[in-house]
Amino acid sequence: MELWNHCENPYPFVPNEVLEQAPSVRASLPNKYCDPKIAARLYDEVFDEYRLCDDLGLHIVTNEHHSGINNLWAASPVITGIIARLTSRVRILSLGTLITVRPDPVRVAEEYATIDVLSRGRLEIGFVKSGATEMVSGDANPMRIREREWEAIDLIEKSLTTHDGPFSWEGKFFIHPHVNIWPRPYQQPRPEFWAATSDLPTCAELGRRGMINTLLFGGYDRTRQAFDAYKTARSEAGLPAPDEDRFSYMAFAYVGDTDEEGLQIGQKIAWFLTVSIKSAPQFSKFQPGAIAPEMAPAAWRTGASRRPRPTNLDAEVLISQGQMFAGTPDTVVKQIKEFRRRVGGIEHIIMMTRQGLVTHAEAEKSFTLAAREVLPQLQDLPPIDEDETRWLAQRSIAAAAS
Amino acid sequence: MAGAAQHCGGSLMSDVDFLNVGPFQLEVLRRANRPPGQLPLLLIHGINNINPNAPFLEALAEHGEIVAPSHPGFGHSPRAQDFDTMYDLVHLYLAVLDNLPGEKITMIGFSFGGWIAAEVAICRPHKLARLVLVDPVGIKIGGREERDFPHFFNTSPDELNRRAWHDSAKQPPGNYGLGWHTVIGEAMSDEEMVVLARNWDALCIYAWRPHMYNPQLKHWLHRIAVPTLVLWGASDRIVTPDYGRTYCGLIPGARFELIDRAGHHPELEQPVAFVAAVADFLTKADPRVASA
Repeated sequence: MELWNHCENPYPFVPNEVLEQAPSVRASLPNKYCDPKIAARLYDEVFDEYRLCDDLGLHIVTNEHHSGINNLWAASPVITGIIARLTSRVRILSLGTLITVRPDPVRVAEEYATIDVLSRGRLEIGFVKSGATEMVSGDANPMRIREREWEAIDLIEKSLTTHDGPFSWEGKFFIHPHVNIWPRPYQQPRPEFWAATSDLPTCAELGRRGMINTLLFGGYDRTRQAFDAYKTARSEAGLPAPDEDRFSYMAFAYVGDTDEEGLQIGQKIAWFLTVSIKSAPQFSKFQPGAIAPEMAPAAWRTGASRRPRPTNLDAEVLISQGQMFAGTPDTVVKQIKEFRRRVGGIEHIIMMTRQGLVTHAEAEKSFTLAAREVLPQLQDLPPIDEDETRWLAQRSIAAAAS
Repeated sequence: MAGAAQHCGGSLMSDVDFLNVGPFQLEVLRRANRPPGQLPLLLIHGINNINPNAPFLEALAEHGEIVAPSHPGFGHSPRAQDFDTMYDLVHLYLAVLDNLPGEKITMIGFSFGGWIAAEVAICRPHKLARLVLVDPVGIKIGGREERDFPHFFNTSPDELNRRAWHDSAKQPPGNYGLGWHTVIGEAMSDEEMVVLARNWDALCIYAWRPHMYNPQLKHWLHRIAVPTLVLWGASDRIVTPDYGRTYCGLIPGARFELIDRAGHHPELEQPVAFVAAVADFLTKADPRVASA
């Protein structure tokens, strides 16, 4: 298995009373609450963490969000390009720049090709559908973003893999009559493609395309269902069964000296869910396209949005749901192996560690323990018994439904 | 127009049916209270399709048969995959005008539908006899850092609800204006919610960006060649009466009238005054002819 470090570079320094009063901590919170001197220090710390990861053999994931306390990576390709020069060994995944918000996928392809060349082929390209406050911050129409995402992916792929001069693209969402990027990517035919989704039809499409499917905090059952949709789609298309390297999962993670330390610092990570996703209704459940119209009655009557805002998340609960790996190295190894078994096999675990109020020193300690004491125990694992794990998963889903 | 809807003459008729316009199918609400003779009234709805129980319908139908289609994606009208621009809507309504029975027609556009109606009118369709614009959006007047109206989708529903009504506590039940999200409650049926959600999604497809206006429309309003009434809720704080006066000033000979104690939806908030203003306009001689 491979371990990846994902840090969103959050900004947890806005006074609580401001956050409590703000209708949304994304999109509309004034940037007067972001002190650039603190931000500069945060950038330095996280880039130092990436250098450490490079020494330790932990791969690196970047992303971007805009206009909010949860994330200071405003442009994933910029940050990924810096990491490409700061590191020399590990792989770098941009997960990703917001292709449903950016107007020209050709520029995205060009930026990624540049990073792939300057990292000597260490780039992996991830796609996210995005939505909610990001559509507001980027003034992107929130309707039909899934269609837009696929068209952008297709155009990026063609831009990266066409080497015989300009081609023309006149699509539904993107028009670019003269596409001819320089440089071309270092990796041939192109860097690996990933996508973050738990939407089953999208997982099926990822399966048919052979892209890496990652889930974010989906827990055991949802992740299992997503990966099964991926496998079924391949099987139905007559394609070979996927290896475990097609599957990835992002969880909160903290590796400490003791289980108590893991839980205690793991609890600080939950800030991501308890504070940093607070969003006004017009940016969430009432945003056009947020829910299918036929689902509106159920969602509106219960006041539920697609991403309910939890306010009391206990680290032990997150662990029990497969959303957090925390404790001593041996405990975390056990949790990850159990996760792998229950989802039917997985190669990539993305650890969200430097999150919320977790400090630089705490993060570096966890990375060091993860690389030195967890990662070696996750190598050369015996194959998954697919029949057995499928039966267990069905039993678990049936139990949850009853 | 294949399968054109039947004209419903005769006394008091109310019906919702479907109309085929080329490959596109439209849900149509019809209402006729009088024998034919007056010009039909084609209603171009705003953010929501016209409710069969809208408080102005009965009285307005005294002045002409009402034909009120739901735009593709609104109400129960399907929206074809690539039908997604104002260009599509304008040509759809030009086709609707061509295919409705009768020689002449009055078109009444509300809010977003007022924008559509203005776009249709500058094309000078031969059947268009008169035009009424009710608190329309569609043009950009202010500078690059001034909004003419709040962003419909990025503004909180509470704020929209506050701005859209003279008295938001007196909204007619079952009729929804901007900020309708704030009145979602147990009284609302599942079907109403599905329709509101469809309407909101479709509106977003057509009008997210530029938001609720066509930068070029202002240049062409002088082409409107029929008597035009621009009606405005005096308390409209979504799109202010000043915006309305400027809009009106760009349409040759257009008349501007305020409806007191009404916001962005005067037809819902002051239906009696709204119908009276329209009726008065319909019975007046063409002011441009009179002044010539």
